[in-house]
Amino acid sequence: MMRKRVAGGLALVLAGVTALAACSGGSSSGGGGTSSAPGSNGSIGLLGQFGHVPAMAAGPEHAGTITVAAPPDAAPTWILPMVTGATNSVYTVPEFDYQMYRPLYWFVNGVEPTEVPAMSLASDPTWSNGDKTVTFTLKSAYKWSDGQPLTSKDVLFWWYLLKAALKESPANWAPYTPGLGIPDEVASISAPNSSTVTMNLTKAVNPTWFWQDSLGSVQPMPSHVWDIDATGGKAITDWATNPADAKKIYDYLAAQSKSVSTYATNPLWQVVDGPYKLTSFTPSTGAFTMAPNPAYGGPHAKVESSWQSVPFQSDAAEFNAVKAGSIDIGYVPLTDVPQIASLASSYNEFGYSDFGWSYVTYNFKDTTGDFNNIIDKLYIRQALAHLENEPGYIKAFFYGAGGQGFGPIPEIPKSPYTPPNALTNPYPYSPATAASILKANGWTVVPNGTDTCAKPGTGTGECGAGIPAGTKLEWNVIYNTSPAVIGEQVQDWASQAKTVGITMNLSTSNFNYMIANYNDPSSPKTVNKWAMQDFGGFTNSTYPTTFGVFNSAGSSNVGGYDDPQADKLITASISSPNPDAVTAEAQYLTQQQPSLFQPNPDDAFGTAAILVWKKSVSGTPQSFESLTQASWNPEYWFFTK
Amino acid sequence: MVGYILRRIGTSVVVLIGVSFFIFALLHAIYPSPAIDVLGARANSALIAAWNKQNGFDDPWLVQYLHYMGNLVRGNLGYSYKLNQSVTALFGGVWARSAWLSGVSLVLAVLIAIPLGVYQAVRRNTVGDYVATGMAFSVYAMPVFFLGLILIQVFALDLHWFSFQGSQSSSLLSVVVDFHGMTLPVVTLTLLTVASFSRYMRSSAMDVLAQDYIKVARAKGLPERLVLMRHLLRNACLPMVTLIGLSIPTLLAGNLITETLFNYRGLGLLFYDALGNADYNVLLAYTLIGAVLTIIGNLVADVALTVADPRIRLA
Repeated sequence: MMRKRVAGGLALVLAGVTALAACSGGSSSGGGGTSSAPGSNGSIGLLGQFGHVPAMAAGPEHAGTITVAAPPDAAPTWILPMVTGATNSVYTVPEFDYQMYRPLYWFVNGVEPTEVPAMSLASDPTWSNGDKTVTFTLKSAYKWSDGQPLTSKDVLFWWYLLKAALKESPANWAPYTPGLGIPDEVASISAPNSSTVTMNLTKAVNPTWFWQDSLGSVQPMPSHVWDIDATGGKAITDWATNPADAKKIYDYLAAQSKSVSTYATNPLWQVVDGPYKLTSFTPSTGAFTMAPNPAYGGPHAKVESSWQSVPFQSDAAEFNAVKAGSIDIGYVPLTDVPQIASLASSYNEFGYSDFGWSYVTYNFKDTTGDFNNIIDKLYIRQALAHLENEPGYIKAFFYGAGGQGFGPIPEIPKSPYTPPNALTNPYPYSPATAASILKANGWTVVPNGTDTCAKPGTGTGECGAGIPAGTKLEWNVIYNTSPAVIGEQVQDWASQAKTVGITMNLSTSNFNYMIANYNDPSSPKTVNKWAMQDFGGFTNSTYPTTFGVFNSAGSSNVGGYDDPQADKLITASISSPNPDAVTAEAQYLTQQQPSLFQPNPDDAFGTAAILVWKKSVSGTPQSFESLTQASWNPEYWFFTK
Repeated sequence: MVGYILRRIGTSVVVLIGVSFFIFALLHAIYPSPAIDVLGARANSALIAAWNKQNGFDDPWLVQYLHYMGNLVRGNLGYSYKLNQSVTALFGGVWARSAWLSGVSLVLAVLIAIPLGVYQAVRRNTVGDYVATGMAFSVYAMPVFFLGLILIQVFALDLHWFSFQGSQSSSLLSVVVDFHGMTLPVVTLTLLTVASFSRYMRSSAMDVLAQDYIKVARAKGLPERLVLMRHLLRNACLPMVTLIGLSIPTLLAGNLITETLFNYRGLGLLFYDALGNADYNVLLAYTLIGAVLTIIGNLVADVALTVADPRIRLA
């Protein structure tokens, strides 16, 4: 998911902090160290974390209404568990929709991007027929809130409505990629019995990818209640065989989902399989309250509490609420981290990066000044990486609350797919090394001037193909002004580059303009208008392939990166049976540096911040940790008094 | 008078059409389609094309404009695809909140600034004048964000007299009676407006005090209270009428920074969020409403001037 690293957007930057990185400067007195932070009790926690999560309180659990902060521009805008592209966000899906309508598989386990089997509606899938047939079984523990069992028919109902929705418009389901995964790669679907679903695929796929990226997006719907095309209408039972009727049902449900003002009162949305039911919703602000679903079949606190999402119109307003003690679970914006110690007596605090990457995109198609021929040289990209002072940025710009990122998979959060070269920076900060690399490849290095190619040619010690003599190392860099840390990092990077004779001409823009105009696939007319740009980054799914971003035909290959080896590895990640394929992909990209990977600030509620929660609120450590990964598990929370 | 107003309304309609055309063209030039903003950078060309078609963004922009204006005439301000609500519903949910916040602040500011300005003019170069001038300059020079933060820190977080945020109720009645929540945002806006208006009023009153008719009134032995009330106040207020008229758009347009700081959902924030989301229809509607209010404000000010000063004749 694309991110602009700013409150109110999608999820925020990500990150990776290694033990070495943290020790060498990723930490600071501000708190981003390897163990404790101001206000913590000094307990040892995860590497790279800020503060700590205490163990779950052992005393009696008390119910109540837990207030939870919602960052600016975070109002849920869709309720049907088939989110559209326009309404998709972490605030509409995991914070809101998933509380009522669970996905088949739950993939955030505290800070780790791994499955939580106990919270998954189905048992792990089994594969056969050379990875062309997948079967899964629904667990009997999960039921609808009206007492009806959750059955394979409910999965099929979702499936046929999805087909109807996508026939109307591919934009009707946000996760949809034409030709890939669900539903295009599924030749047929069947339900051998009331709890089992079988899918026959059109070709063999990588089982892990299909499981985590495709099956993980399936949200069964209560077919026994929603099989109507009008309020109070008669049940339509032939939706599996009659596409026209499936379309009628989808159109009706989508229309109901557009009626934001009726979310809390429409009886349709009161039949749920998740831990909560919606009890109030304010369309003008996005404020809502949820009450426990007594029939929920998954794990939860002994005493279940209601919870209330409290919207804030600015980070400053939210921080005022935290300072006033009026919010149970909130966040401290990154810029206010230096003040966090003042909350130590009343709030717990925890900071961690989410799973993904931030980057400066290189434009491999920009022919201005032969930039395309410059940037396609690995040694140039390596030199540029050596000019980035990630530990310094974390200390100076993130107040210690962040971690380093060297490639598309950070070291933390811990992932089963982390490659070895993501554990330490392969190109650590060293302007001297950068200068040496340039000199060794035929460039005349002029500190604080502009380097030129002195030795054109393709031989050893020469500049490389397509770079004539006298070519200058000078180009433009456009960066997003929000949040400010993007500009701070880019400015420092450009400043370091200047010390070795690389001239970066900086200019500013905004997220929307940049992804619309400085984006090779969607805006080919402007390929020569920009050499580098920094709009933010991407959040990984738990299966962290960069398919779509760094494969040559990727729809989000913003800079037109084109590397046959990368294509081969990325394709293997989604189509080969090799369970290590995505690790190999990440290892290669980390070594190749198709972009400048940047450090990532800590994240809470999908924004750059440190999570805080009152000491009177407790729950499983994972239920708080997961908020740094834009995953809400309020069913585990309770008051201690 | 009636003829003048009708002519002004006619002119205003032409201006509004021009403004709408200009805004629409400008928006289209910057963002031919917000599809990729809405769908995200992972959206491929098929998704973008489908979305454009679904939302009419594949038509020529002039057709899009005419279509928009056709809907506008029928009272349809369009649909916010990002917020999944009609623009009318979105505006309906918050306009009264913005109007209340800005309106109360404006009224209070006028009630304070006019007598303060007169007092300063009459007692110019006294300690009272210096103190008021100093305070006005201090507040005027202060960014609204900073002033609000200070008020929150002192009166909400330290003294606990008021809430750190404005009323969160969606009922206007509740907002109106929520003194605990609304005091600080109202005071913030009022102080800033008083700082500005009082300077205008002081300057205007000083000009009037130097006029011959004031001297004549005093020479006739008219009590000073009557000189000030009958001859000074009415004439000195003329520039204020124009200022107040120009302030009318803020009644609905909202005060973005104050709303943001005090967590008070209003039109200003709606617009700000729409900017971030490239939410076409909200941006268009907000801009057009701003234009309408600016024109109305000017018209009201012109008419009010003729009432306040019969010497002014409308052509």
